Amino acid sequence: MSEALDLSLREQAAAIAAGEADPAELLEASLERIGERNPALNAVVETFPERSWEMLAAAPAGPLHGVPVVIKDEWPLPWRAQRFGAADMLVTPSPGESGPYRALRDAGAVIVGVGNMHELGASSTGSVSVYGPARNPWDTDRCPGGSSSGPAAAVAARLVAGAVGADGIGSIRYPAAYCGLTGLKPTFGRSAMAGHHMAGVSTTIVSGPLCPDAGDCRLLGSVLFGEELKAGDPGPLRIGIVRGEVSEDVAPAVREACEAAIEDLRRETDGEVREIELPELAAATLATVLIANSESLGDITPERLNNLDPELSPLGRGLLKYRVLLPAIATVRSQQVRTLARHTLAAVFEDVDVIAWPTVPAVAPPLEAPVVELPSGTLTADEANVRGGALANLTGIPAISVPAGSADGLPVALQLQAAWGRDELLLDAAEAIERANGRRWVEAVPPPARGAEPLEA
Amino acid sequence: MEASNTPDDFIPAGLAAYGIEADEIELAVMGAAHALFWPPILELLALDTSEVPAEPAPDLSQAPPSR
Repeated sequence: MSEALDLSLREQAAAIAAGEADPAELLEASLERIGERNPALNAVVETFPERSWEMLAAAPAGPLHGVPVVIKDEWPLPWRAQRFGAADMLVTPSPGESGPYRALRDAGAVIVGVGNMHELGASSTGSVSVYGPARNPWDTDRCPGGSSSGPAAAVAARLVAGAVGADGIGSIRYPAAYCGLTGLKPTFGRSAMAGHHMAGVSTTIVSGPLCPDAGDCRLLGSVLFGEELKAGDPGPLRIGIVRGEVSEDVAPAVREACEAAIEDLRRETDGEVREIELPELAAATLATVLIANSESLGDITPERLNNLDPELSPLGRGLLKYRVLLPAIATVRSQQVRTLARHTLAAVFEDVDVIAWPTVPAVAPPLEAPVVELPSGTLTADEANVRGGALANLTGIPAISVPAGSADGLPVALQLQAAWGRDELLLDAAEAIERANGRRWVEAVPPPARGAEPLEA
Repeated sequence: MEASNTPDDFIPAGLAAYGIEADEIELAVMGAAHALFWPPILELLALDTSEVPAEPAPDLSQAPPSR
């Protein structure tokens, strides 16, 4: 039954529905594979076979009936409080039925494990976690991306065919890019969010799917959205590109692959490429970080900061304390930038259907030193990645990361962004890219998913 | 008076105002964060936003109302 694990999410669901696959055997195989492959990856930080078997026994005949999935350590489960990848998340989490949990349960899915994540969701790398970092299946010395590091590594290594992450500033798209997956950041408010410890406070965080391809993101996304994300014809697509650092201060191999993917998309949809301008992009990036930081301040007091769990990383402690020093005037100005950026995008989306640029400007960096080499010099991966990832969170628009190539044996990804509510169009466009390149990049799998020798822990 | 990007001017005073303690490593982290964030924050504050329309509680699931 382990072969069934290598099927796509929708193929697994279809095989079970047709009686061609036994969901009990699939769950057993997933648990076994986690046991075999996870020690070297640290993608899954907890399994709970008894609970998984209970979910399967009670699973309704939904669209994911009997299909094993992983959920990020950001979402509470009835039997497990989230840890947010941290020894101390300032609030005291408690077990419960989060929105994504309910959506998965009601769709008949079986949660087989909890995915690792970057501490406090505070990085695009996944290099720091209370559980130790997850590792990239393409090269276990490399970052898997963050903050949804474990969900991405778990899907890339085919421990499961789909996982639920969360994206506050690129946190689904960065790990999707580093691990060679498709990752959808939904329009703000469109996917299940209940039960998140920042629900009702955060204006940037959404739940979303990480899967091998767009078709699987469509299926898992439909479950998280609570509505069918219908497929359609995306063309002829008007593709917007932006000159400047987000598309040009990019490693040459990444730039080349993304430009080729944009041309694939244009050709496949009989579309056209148009240059657009986003004058607020740099300010929008900073504004996103400042707003997200300020929204986390509600649970912070000086006394609390003086009594942080000593197991919280020095980086996490320092950044938490720095947050309280950020001036309110900068947050107010950030909200104005948000308004400007939203108006600019509303005008831009009159002229184009999608905006395209590299999801991340370089391939996954080493875990030991998460920095990237760009034409402008050496930058921390976070500093470089946030340039392309923040705008969608600031403004609420949907975005998707699509596998688009390979450099140095590591995945390269193109990001597409669309107007509010046009999540389906992004999936259609991602599928157009897949068709154009013969599904070459969505079917590429890393060594542990090719049946190579088990990785050394 | 010119704005200062120096963490030594800002971080200890800010922490002291709140009574927040920090060890050397945390101070180093905060210094690095400050070096990264403060110059663009000053640029942000210099932006002319006098023409920005008010959007006090934006509905982020939709496009903004047209101006």
